[in-house]
Amino acid sequence: MKLKSLKITAIMIFLSLAVSAQDWIVPDDQKNVANPLPYNLENVKKGKELFLKNCKSCHGDPGKNNVLPLVPPPVDITSEKMQKNTEGEIFYKITHGRGAMPQFGATISDDDRWRIVNYIQNFNPARQPMLVNAPATKAKLLASVNEQEKKVEIFAEYLAADGYIKLPNAEITISAKKNFGNIEIGKVRTGENGRAIFTIPETLIGDEEGYVNIVVALDETFIADVVTLDKAKVGQLKQVQKLIRPGVLWSTNENIQIWLLISYICVTGAAWLTIGYVAFQLFRIKKSSKTESSNIS
Amino acid sequence: MNKIESPAESRKMLDKIMTDLTRSITKKDELTRFWFFILIMFIIVGVWGWIIQIKTGLGVTGMRDYVSWGMYIANFVFFVAVSLIGFLISSALALLKISWAKPISRVAEQVAIAAVALAGIIIVMDMGRPDRFLNVFLHGRFASPIIWDVTVVTTYLTISVLLFYLPLIPDLALMRDHMADKLPKWKIKLYTILALGWKGNPEQYKIIYHSMRILMLLIIPVGLSIHTVTSWLFASTLRSGWDTTILGPYFVAGAFVAGTAAVIIVMFVYRVRYRLKDYFEDLHFDYMGKLLVFVCLVYLYFNINEYLVPGYKMKLGEGIHLRELFVGNYSVMFWFVQLTGLVLPIVLLLFRYFRKPFPIMVISFVVLVASWLKRYIIVIPTLEHPFLPVQNVPDHFKHYSPTSTEIMITIFSFVSAMLIITILAKLFPVITMWEYAEEKGIDKKYFSEKP
Repeated sequence: MKLKSLKITAIMIFLSLAVSAQDWIVPDDQKNVANPLPYNLENVKKGKELFLKNCKSCHGDPGKNNVLPLVPPPVDITSEKMQKNTEGEIFYKITHGRGAMPQFGATISDDDRWRIVNYIQNFNPARQPMLVNAPATKAKLLASVNEQEKKVEIFAEYLAADGYIKLPNAEITISAKKNFGNIEIGKVRTGENGRAIFTIPETLIGDEEGYVNIVVALDETFIADVVTLDKAKVGQLKQVQKLIRPGVLWSTNENIQIWLLISYICVTGAAWLTIGYVAFQLFRIKKSSKTESSNIS
Repeated sequence: MNKIESPAESRKMLDKIMTDLTRSITKKDELTRFWFFILIMFIIVGVWGWIIQIKTGLGVTGMRDYVSWGMYIANFVFFVAVSLIGFLISSALALLKISWAKPISRVAEQVAIAAVALAGIIIVMDMGRPDRFLNVFLHGRFASPIIWDVTVVTTYLTISVLLFYLPLIPDLALMRDHMADKLPKWKIKLYTILALGWKGNPEQYKIIYHSMRILMLLIIPVGLSIHTVTSWLFASTLRSGWDTTILGPYFVAGAFVAGTAAVIIVMFVYRVRYRLKDYFEDLHFDYMGKLLVFVCLVYLYFNINEYLVPGYKMKLGEGIHLRELFVGNYSVMFWFVQLTGLVLPIVLLLFRYFRKPFPIMVISFVVLVASWLKRYIIVIPTLEHPFLPVQNVPDHFKHYSPTSTEIMITIFSFVSAMLIITILAKLFPVITMWEYAEEKGIDKKYFSEKP
């Protein structure tokens, strides 16, 4: 691994020789472009997801200064060097790239790039941070399925100073439990009363009988037991291909050749009826010995 | 046959027959106790082995992914084979009115009951989860030869027990009436219950003959199917060595060889141990020897078919299998089985000397051992050569060898079979007394006389 990163470093040195000594100049007209997306929790969160996927591998964890050793070195997004950029500058740099920094203009949409900018802004001292590393809150989650209307009804509470009270505006993730982990079906937010209703999409596929195991969970800022609703009949029937050809002899009881079943039942039945008949003869022997003794007496 | 006229002579003769034939029941000596002690010790060891196997799982056996049928299944096939003799002697020969076979029929039934009962037990012992045994009936597939096998084994066991019990009823009544002073009370009580209040009137005899005849007819298809279905467990697959149409009759013929040998051994033991020289005569051994030659010849014929035809074609899989048997890892066992267990007995038993009781008993013993090994080389080498390549597995997956636990449990099955036969011999006469007496010309009316 070390050797590999050394190699990468060497290559990057050559690539970036031309630019390494210079500052990264952003054209003036780009510098002050305003962020079209509002700075709010939703955008910051989405930005975080995008950052983790696209940027973290070089820029490291925010605040930990564990960037990849490239030349020029990537900058930790919480650092002063990063934060003195305007929003427009950051957006420009993400879009066009330079040296080892790729250009994301073609791979990430404009809105999503602005969201990444929003996430970086989260660490700007001039901003009120949206994502706070507060200790997780204890919470309780209740959920039930309405199979007729295909809805999941959810109620969330959290532990306040004086006991549990209803939890408004919390994000709930609804997933389906599959053989190899959970697959997310959708998200829903609780209302003011701590309640939420999630409509299960029509396209959800269950097992052969349409059963789905639904998992309801709060996000990681809460400590709450995940609610698993086993065997909810809300999915479409899974179409399972019949792997046994109808004509074969060996088969399950559902596909059995009718003549085979009849033969089995008839032969076995005949044998056991005969055995039963012989067993009945034993009673006749017993009866016969009684009648004779009564004749004598 | 000379009819005995005088009542006194008849009574004396009947008395002698009864004394001789119930010697197995009345005899109580150190040897009997020692024999029981030995059997029960081995059974305890076997049960202990089984408990280990249940606790730890089938991993204690040598069976792995590829060879998933090991010594247990080979042993199962062997016991099913041995049990078939009940059908041959007490039904087929009796229906053909071959009178010399009559005294042997109860021995044959004893062997059949013991063997088929053990066949059932072995299957349960081969299960990793014997507690799920009932699932075979609850969730069985009617299109599966395994279900057919379970069905036919239970049916055959029931018929064998009935075929053992029906001709026993008059004997039980005889012992109930004549031996009250010689036997412990519980035995007499048992005989009284089992005799069903037998009075010996013509109607009752008629019922016995009638029922016997039905059972003898019924056991022919059931007996043939028990071993044919067992062969289908193998023949219904595509495996080299099993994928052949003659496996059914091949198994049946092999079964007669094993069963005849087993009956000869038991006959010899009874003859020596219970001094039944006048009952299991040299003549019986002579005829049984001829019967053994006959069934061995039939079996040899099937063996030639079984190996020559695939050997001529040498399809890839069959070729590997046959080479393994003829010159490979199993060649010693294979040639021992074919030559010592089949060809040599045929040659030797053609001579009158070797059909005398002791030599034929020794030959039968070798034949029986070879029969067991034959099942081993039917089951295991085939499994060692699956069609899919065996890759990236530990070496002990590729070659099967039984573990000590497996051997313990297999010995248990032999000992249990011997215990069942011993208990049957200790409880009931080893030859049907009333039939034998009647054969000797004693009228039925003397049977029901109270002393």
